[in-house]
Amino acid sequence: MRSIKKVAVIGAGVMGAGIAAQVANAGVEVLLFDRPQTEGDDRSAIARGAVASLLKSNPAALMSKKNAELVLPMNTEDDLDKLGTCDWIIEAIIEDVGIKQGLYRQLDEHRKKGSIISSNTSTLRRRDLVEGMPSDFCKDFLISHFFNPPRYMRLLELVGGDETPDDLMAVVEGFCDKQLGKGVVRCKDTPGFIANRIGIFWLQCAVVEAIDQGISIEVADALIGRPFGIPKTGVFALLDMVGLDLMPHVLGSMAEYLDADDPFHEIYREPVFIKEMIADGYTGRKGKGGFYRLKPDSPEKVKEAVDLKTGNYHKASRPPVAIVKKAGRKNPRKVLDDNSPEGRYAWSVMSKTLSYAASLVPTVTEDIGAIDQAMCLGYNWKYGPFELLDQIGAPWFIQKLSSTGQKVPEFLTKAGSEGFYRLKQGQREYLSSIGQYRPIETRSGVLKLEDVKARSKPVAKNPSASLWDIGDGVLCLEFHSKMNSLNLWTLGLMGKAIRIIEEGDFKALVVYNDGSNFSVGANIGLMAFAAKIWAFPFIDYMVRRGQDTYKALKFAPFPVVSAPSGLALGGACELLLHSDAVQAHAETYTGLVEVGVGIIPGWGGCKELLCRWALAKDGPKGPMPPVSKTFEIIGLAQVAKSAKEAREMKILRPSDGISMNRDRLLADAKAKALELAKDYKSPEPVEITLPGKSGRVALDLAVAGFRKSGKATPHDVVVSAALSEVLSGGDTDMTRKVSEDALLTLERKAFHSLCRHPDTILRVNHMLKTGKPLRN
Amino acid sequence: MVDIVIAGYARSAFHFAHKGALAKIRPDDLVAQVIKGLVHKTGIEGGALEAVFMGCAFPEGEQGLNVARLAVFLADLPQSVGGATVNHFCGSSMQAIHMAAGAISMGAGSAYICAGIESMSRVPMMGFNPLLNPALAHDFPPAFISMGETAENVADKYGVTRKDQDSFSLESHQKAALAQGAGKLRDEIISIEDEIGAVIDHDGCIRGGSTLEGLGGLAPAFKEEGSVTAGSSSPLTDGASAVIVCTADFAKEQELTVLAKIRSIAVAGCAPEIMGIGPVAATKKALSRAGITIKDLDVIELNEAFASQALACISDLDIDTNKINLDGGAIALGHPLGATGARITGKAAQLLKREGGNFALATQCIGGGQGIATVLEAAE
Repeated sequence: MRSIKKVAVIGAGVMGAGIAAQVANAGVEVLLFDRPQTEGDDRSAIARGAVASLLKSNPAALMSKKNAELVLPMNTEDDLDKLGTCDWIIEAIIEDVGIKQGLYRQLDEHRKKGSIISSNTSTLRRRDLVEGMPSDFCKDFLISHFFNPPRYMRLLELVGGDETPDDLMAVVEGFCDKQLGKGVVRCKDTPGFIANRIGIFWLQCAVVEAIDQGISIEVADALIGRPFGIPKTGVFALLDMVGLDLMPHVLGSMAEYLDADDPFHEIYREPVFIKEMIADGYTGRKGKGGFYRLKPDSPEKVKEAVDLKTGNYHKASRPPVAIVKKAGRKNPRKVLDDNSPEGRYAWSVMSKTLSYAASLVPTVTEDIGAIDQAMCLGYNWKYGPFELLDQIGAPWFIQKLSSTGQKVPEFLTKAGSEGFYRLKQGQREYLSSIGQYRPIETRSGVLKLEDVKARSKPVAKNPSASLWDIGDGVLCLEFHSKMNSLNLWTLGLMGKAIRIIEEGDFKALVVYNDGSNFSVGANIGLMAFAAKIWAFPFIDYMVRRGQDTYKALKFAPFPVVSAPSGLALGGACELLLHSDAVQAHAETYTGLVEVGVGIIPGWGGCKELLCRWALAKDGPKGPMPPVSKTFEIIGLAQVAKSAKEAREMKILRPSDGISMNRDRLLADAKAKALELAKDYKSPEPVEITLPGKSGRVALDLAVAGFRKSGKATPHDVVVSAALSEVLSGGDTDMTRKVSEDALLTLERKAFHSLCRHPDTILRVNHMLKTGKPLRN
Repeated sequence: MVDIVIAGYARSAFHFAHKGALAKIRPDDLVAQVIKGLVHKTGIEGGALEAVFMGCAFPEGEQGLNVARLAVFLADLPQSVGGATVNHFCGSSMQAIHMAAGAISMGAGSAYICAGIESMSRVPMMGFNPLLNPALAHDFPPAFISMGETAENVADKYGVTRKDQDSFSLESHQKAALAQGAGKLRDEIISIEDEIGAVIDHDGCIRGGSTLEGLGGLAPAFKEEGSVTAGSSSPLTDGASAVIVCTADFAKEQELTVLAKIRSIAVAGCAPEIMGIGPVAATKKALSRAGITIKDLDVIELNEAFASQALACISDLDIDTNKINLDGGAIALGHPLGATGARITGKAAQLLKREGGNFALATQCIGGGQGIATVLEAAE
């Protein structure tokens, strides 16, 4: 049975190094090869330089700087013999069949028998890459197409051949799914596979139609963005990110390999002024600028946009496109049905793109889900083409295509009024390529809350949260307030969950939601409002209620497992700290950020994090190290940029789990909850030794130094003083123990004074207005 | 009175804390390697040593538990050799030299190794458990004033400009880079092996390519509108040093090369908020005890904790800058707190021998408001 325990990546460019980083993020050792450096002593300097770049990359390619230790720099002249220890070799070098095949022959000599070998090509066909290669090589060879940046883009397209054994595909798919966290889409060996086949068509279409119809790039991006659930980068800002110079290669490759009757050829051309931009170094963000740029030599940041007619830059504007506003979200038909120049532009781009996607069924794939998944995970579309068509209404779309003289792809005609996806008796179904509805099958190890919600009613519900029965005696608490912020409703449902589980047949609670962010924390808008009407006792009540609820969850007679993904800030981080266990998505960004709004964690967050550090066995001894560390983490509002970093900050415990694949998070959390439920015993309250005043003086002196050097603001000093009072244990002495309840009392006292401070109110209001912390 | 001499000097290369080559090396191992190297290089008989006195500013963690005694074991010295750790903050290892000289004067042995160690990577400034006296902090805040703030106070009080500080810092780097390039630092550095066997034998903090423009562009580090920057302060550093302090007769018996004779020593207190001026009073005392004046000195090692305090001391003592820190100072080389005193005393002795002349001075400021000074005389 094959398995992947060690990987090699050949080519330490942006993609190769990024893939190596993600393999390291999975905790797997990876050899990163590039050509040898001819000058100097270090023959592997090129690959080593790539590792150094990974450490500096932003957004970070590595989930923890420590992961860099798993990426071992090598060179292709001296170190190929080390390939013999690798189970999977990924090639990520220049897109040239001849050069790749030359490399493959070398790799084939050194790799171990049965090891998997794959190419990260985005433009070449598998059949060309294996032509003339030994049969064993062909059997072991795949295309594994990652998207850039490999840590953050979830799509992985996998292309095998007729000779590829099933178990090989399954091993790679399993590794990429479970360990690299990818959404794996199996593709046929067709040009551009799925995502780029549609994505490149869409981008090219949007560019040439904008030029032809005289639509500015700002308007184009506003139109082909939010109304369709497409990131606000739209088309032109996305091209700036990708790199304008990449496009001619990709377009040329498509033009070369696509059949002569493919609609791509109708839109394929390279506008002269874009060629000139590339020649002049305007290759996008990596160059002097692209369709957008920051005005050169300007002391202030002035964003400029290129005029598609003249090629000159002007100050970029955010155009008020009326139909975009009118359409809002999830109503793209309103944009497409508008007879303004903007509406006609949107129709021309999206009608062609969606028709093109439909035309690929069944030749490129029989599975519309694969197309939707590819565009969602590879291009960050919120909805795939067929999901969009369901929002638009297939019959209306077909009718409009016909009325404008556009060809209607055959597969489109198979969708009736029920559309491409439907819900039947609680089961989600999709339209197959032969026009019949088939159930959407859930992969093993995947549990989707949306499926639970589709087939059942909530156990309890209020405007901000719901409780769902996810089976096997596990209750799931879902937040659905704005940005999943926490308020009295959410706290209320936590209390209700405790009662339901204590009184009923449930045995564990999982806190999870499908949102891109677990929760941004407590609703500070409520606090601002209360402060405005001088309802400070209400704020005190909120703090007490939060403390009581979290404490009740912590000591409840059943396990509580929180399963965050995305942001879990402030009060949400405090919830993680109070949970019996956390099963975190690898891309979890969590921290106690309260000081940014002039308060301190008041729902037990100071207490929990402090106790974690105080009881840890891996730090220096004495009363101060846990206090100093917690003070640093909370006082600087540090946010972990991954679950692994959260573990380094002790927000997660070593025993807490990390799911690399977002789709597996709920099932993993449920499994953890069930495991804990066996012979579950509530935790005992702890007591810790704290330094009292002697420690507080040291912290306050350090902050005074930061104030003098201008690193801390006047209100930072006030907030820090409140924090140091809590963390040092108030009036305690190091000969006494401090209880959890005593720490909660200190938190409340500090919160009580801070929330009444006018500078805190200014911070709160500023955050609500701008989304950024006020440095007052 | 018996003649007490410096008969051997060695140190590790100095490297930036946290990011430098010594960050992963335990401080007790580091200083033991230096002591071992010094014993090997001089050929001194270990069993003849009375004790190792070890300076360390934050003697805890891996440099705690009386690190001097542990270093005796780690350096394979005989168990008969004692070990005592001395904390006098930045003056710790110079204090160790003074204590050895005093002990020898009392007839308590003929030879000591006086070493210094500080891993600022592995033991933080203030230590792991800074627990300040709240009443003292309230009634007399300068007792716990930060060193950067004292540097700003000295700059204000003595009118030391930003430009002068930057020029002084640049010169320190240039002198150190020149000395490094000419191989003048090679003899004093003991090669250190790290955990994977790599050899560290070059100083890592020296920035020969520094420019006035670069230094001028740095933001103040300790006071919003201040003049002291990271560039005009000594960096957080890892390093170790050691000297042999013995009687002239012992040196002769053991055929050690005498670098200089210890002529006088002194410590002096000053206001904690201007601790950087501490060397002035200490130097005056030491010179007076030696019966010489500042003009009689040929070599001066004045520790550069900060350019502002070094310049204030130079001005107040009317020092000829051509005699100061000939191979660069702490701003360029680094300042591993506990190790600096032995470095500058050993260096002053070595320079006196190398450059010729009659007298040398090694002096430094100490947190809490103190200065320490040692006057050396050329060996006969």
